[in-house]
Amino acid sequence: MKYGKLGALGAAAVLVLSACSGSATTPPAASSGSGASSAPVSSAPASSGGAVTPGAWCVGGTVKIGTELPMSGGETANGVPTENGVELLVAEVNAAGGVAGCKLATNVQDDALNGVHDPQTGAKNMQTLVADASVIGVVGPFNSGVAEAEIPISNGAGLLMCSPANTANAVTQPPDGDQYRSAHPDKISYIRTATPDSIQGPSAADYLYKDLGKTSVYIIDDTETFGVGVGDSFEAEFKKLGGTVVKRDSAPKSTTDYTPLFTAAAAMNPQGVYLAGTTPTGMGLALKQGRTVSGMETIPFVGPDGVADLGPGGTQGATITIAGAAAANVYGTVGAAHDLASGSTFVADYTAKFGGAPGAYSAAAFACAQIIVSSLTKAAATATDLASAREGVRANAVNSTNTFDTALGTLSFDKYGDNTKPFISFYKTDMTLNGGKGDWTFVKQESFTDPNAP
Amino acid sequence: MTVNLPRFARPLGIGAVALIVEYLLLGTQQFANALTLGAIYALIALGYTMVYGIVELINFAHGDVFMVGSFLAMWIMTTIFGLTGPVTNLLNLVGLLAIVMLATMVGMGLIGMFIERVAYRPLRHAPRLAPLITAIGVSFILQNIIATAFGPSPVNFPQIVPADKFALMGGKIAYLNLFIVIMAVVLMIALQLFVGRTRLGRAMRSTAQDREAAELMGVDINQTIAITFFIAAALAGAGGMVQGLYAGSIKFDLGFFVGLKAFTAAVLGGIGNTTGAAIGGFVIAFVEVYATVIGYTQWSEVAVFTVLILVLVFRPSGLLGQQLGERA
Repeated sequence: MKYGKLGALGAAAVLVLSACSGSATTPPAASSGSGASSAPVSSAPASSGGAVTPGAWCVGGTVKIGTELPMSGGETANGVPTENGVELLVAEVNAAGGVAGCKLATNVQDDALNGVHDPQTGAKNMQTLVADASVIGVVGPFNSGVAEAEIPISNGAGLLMCSPANTANAVTQPPDGDQYRSAHPDKISYIRTATPDSIQGPSAADYLYKDLGKTSVYIIDDTETFGVGVGDSFEAEFKKLGGTVVKRDSAPKSTTDYTPLFTAAAAMNPQGVYLAGTTPTGMGLALKQGRTVSGMETIPFVGPDGVADLGPGGTQGATITIAGAAAANVYGTVGAAHDLASGSTFVADYTAKFGGAPGAYSAAAFACAQIIVSSLTKAAATATDLASAREGVRANAVNSTNTFDTALGTLSFDKYGDNTKPFISFYKTDMTLNGGKGDWTFVKQESFTDPNAP
Repeated sequence: MTVNLPRFARPLGIGAVALIVEYLLLGTQQFANALTLGAIYALIALGYTMVYGIVELINFAHGDVFMVGSFLAMWIMTTIFGLTGPVTNLLNLVGLLAIVMLATMVGMGLIGMFIERVAYRPLRHAPRLAPLITAIGVSFILQNIIATAFGPSPVNFPQIVPADKFALMGGKIAYLNLFIVIMAVVLMIALQLFVGRTRLGRAMRSTAQDREAAELMGVDINQTIAITFFIAAALAGAGGMVQGLYAGSIKFDLGFFVGLKAFTAAVLGGIGNTTGAAIGGFVIAFVEVYATVIGYTQWSEVAVFTVLILVLVFRPSGLLGQQLGERA
């Protein structure tokens, strides 16, 4: 197919273009106090007024936290509020004098290609971040498929990644996880605060079966790492509970018409639908078109965090914006705690700085940045140059005996880099909110135990 | 005016047999879905086949012309008419659909003529590969213009046709599906009449057969080719509008996959043959929906191209293509 090849060639050209435009470094504007009343990190040094002289590792007085998230197009509702969480912490730390006298900045990378997250773009961004010697740790990525492309690079270079949102089991757990860190199996470079899909999928199945009382379901996935993984674990649990999976379909993101799929599924009278995937990779359109099929108009649709983006109707790229009225009676799980650590002023600070409610993973990104800052604080004592500071951050963050006080509470990570205190929060849509444009409302949160905890 | 029966009988026969087989395989509901999808593919495939027939150019920008058509229709509806939701008054609805469709088709026709004038006409006597590459360039230009103007995320298309359905032979059919199929059939019949019965149509056919001889007989070649591009882009515009109404949201890269399938439909039907393109569009849609029905959605594209390969192995010039060697 001539066109296919040439199309790919053109896509590569676009990739280069968008990567150029996405690699701009944006130093945070707020260097002076922006109303940061709370102590940003409990382990931050008690510096008063930034009188501390930074060590030799702090070249030029500033080090950077990299962010690697999908920031544009259909992913705006995912990436931008998450990145804001990092910017908030950086501003607060700088207002308190920096880390051991060293100011923080960010190196912002966007892995959205043509408005949808893209693993190749992510890999390229990770190489950019590795090459920027002043980056001492990275917050991101957002999507598990992107993480799979990036972890081998960060592992080879010994640069810490902390993902606020990745949930696929394969990212950390054997056998796939071992392959991604095969360059340095003993020096893992990746941790995540989000709850793995081995918990997220089953908890959605429990919710649909027990709380909503539905005994049959239709599952459609987007063929990606995350979608297939969460769909599989949902399916296994739903069957274990005694429910019936009437049909399971896989539709790639290039699908332009979901009507035949839902027509075929509706003939089997499912009582619910599980959208295993993300809104930008087709689940938004699947929801919108699926609702028009007879028998699908009012049954509950349940989705993982790729669908439950918590973006109110009207936000660019948000599920409720795309689906419109079809977003009524939609439920979603998010792999993070809804209730933050007691005493955290995160929500108030975020709203004051950015003028809107945080996104689903803003607090987790803030926590990731807190972990990087806390690790840097420990590493600062012995670091002699940027390379040893970077290695010190990695070693402290992945050490399973360390604990971190963050906005999400006290966190620690197991030998694979998974959060030892996983949470799932449940949300549903309410189309009467937000002036009739709809929004997500919190239902409940549940805590689980990490099977790999030390 | 006599109708050449044998010439019409074969495509009609193939079409009728294909429809009956597909109805039996799919059942009413999925048959309606496939027919709707096929109507959209057919409208685009006609443009590929007409342009190829007259200038032997595979116009790879045509899928993106279709995409631009859906954005133009969306812009007309939201910005000029301020439409956001269903229009319940039947008379208003029909009037609005007619006006929006006419405006979209004329607007897209002019855009099609413009593209031909600036991108293809200067290269008409260049080696064949040159206009092909230009077409791919135009495709990217159109995509990037739309992505810049409307953003790369999906854009909502106003659902002005109410989602009501009527019962028919054990299925529930939305009025929108009915509208799309009827509209596509009307446009296709109008095209056949235009090409077969009018002076301009005769000029198009003669240009396709032998450009130089037609020129010697007094046919204005530039005008004829421009009109061909106008009609092709207008049909794609109509297709873009109904795609928006049907899917409810449109995206700047929509034209790539839909265009690829419509191109396949044109080749399947016999490129250069308008009836073949229409039948090809429906065949592709049926194969795709059938793959979904039997549970192989992931393989639907494989199925589509397998059918294409099989047809080309046994009939290298497509279902209705004439075996005329190099030149059709």
